[in-house]
Amino acid sequence: MSTPYDIDEVLPAGTIETLPAGTNVLITGPAMVGKRELAFRLLATGHEKGEGVLCVTTSASASSMLDEFERRVPTLDRDRVAIVDCSGSDSQQAIREIATERVSSPGDLTGISIGTAKLLQRFSKQNVSDVRHGLVSISTLIQYLDLNTVFKFLHIYTSRIEDTGGLGVFTLEDVSHDAKTVNTITSEFDCVIELREGADGREVRVKGLPGASRSWRAFD
Amino acid sequence: MSDTGPPVVLVVEDEPDVAETYRRWLRSTYDVRVAADGPTAMAELDASVDVVLLDRMMPEMAGEEVLREIRDREMTCRVAMVTAVDPDFDVVEMGFDAYVTKPPERDELMETIERLLDRAEVDDDLQQYYSLVARRSTLEAEKTEAELNDSPEYANLVDRIERQREEVDEELGDMSTDTDFVGAVREIMNDEGEQTE
Repeated sequence: MSTPYDIDEVLPAGTIETLPAGTNVLITGPAMVGKRELAFRLLATGHEKGEGVLCVTTSASASSMLDEFERRVPTLDRDRVAIVDCSGSDSQQAIREIATERVSSPGDLTGISIGTAKLLQRFSKQNVSDVRHGLVSISTLIQYLDLNTVFKFLHIYTSRIEDTGGLGVFTLEDVSHDAKTVNTITSEFDCVIELREGADGREVRVKGLPGASRSWRAFD
Repeated sequence: MSDTGPPVVLVVEDEPDVAETYRRWLRSTYDVRVAADGPTAMAELDASVDVVLLDRMMPEMAGEEVLREIRDREMTCRVAMVTAVDPDFDVVEMGFDAYVTKPPERDELMETIERLLDRAEVDDDLQQYYSLVARRSTLEAEKTEAELNDSPEYANLVDRIERQREEVDEELGDMSTDTDFVGAVREIMNDEGEQTE
């Protein structure tokens, strides 16, 4: 619980290699820049060391999430992947294969919290204590709920991840929201990873962590 | 929640001796009401009740059924289940805000009630915290870093945000507890759509 989470080789060399237990990370950037893919990489990195992944998906189905994890980790242990699916568009397939809790709508935050609590308890019974938590994406929550409700939920949920010694990885499509909304959401996170399309390809910048360089770097 | 007088606790317990013990323990701090069964509890329940202590095993109407009706009526009181069996996960799933194993100690019962009363404050304090952060976000979106550094209003806001966050986190308590975590989320959902900035 107190050992840092390894994210080696996910970001360009010299950026960050580990994140302390209890850290909450927000990935921001425009559409199609690869926020979701980066989130998956951050979530999947510790899998071979016995960590668990608990991901809340608001628009992709549980089965497509499972496919993405299996592409990234060919030796995926399906007992250590759990999904709260509020996309409302899933077949029963993934639900038979991995632990899935379905929630009728991304606006049902109580249902989402119950689902994550059940799945986390399941991990703890399996003695999986290091868990990476994903929420993809905050932008969908903002479409369904008032900003103040989303903000309050993020405060509670990031506190939960902090108090259980997990690692939180969230995504936000920043260009869809005004600067005030982005600033408000961002303030709840320990660390923000920004992605953008630069003149020579994709670039990344990390903000909020002491010691991390704040300049833009090329990122393939 | 009642604005004047002590918080109201409704004890729902079918064994008269047990109900009387709770009443003796709690009456100096709270306004205690007692109901001997589910239907009586539902009749007693109104907006003035802050916390319900609900015995799980009762004839006529089980604790779960009473809870379901409380939630269906969209009452905002917090409900603690008092249970002789180890409740495991179903407590959270059924929607209880806390549980106490039977027979409870006096201190344990008081602590649970206090925690649930604190939680009633969480949403208001989070709302205030949100308003402060939203104001800071607006300033940050409109002004340059140099302007912000020169602004006493901004510095003051940053201080207030820090203090408000500490207060919120104090009330939230340890979010690794499942019932406290889900209960806090349920609190903020009670107000969804009702508050504007």
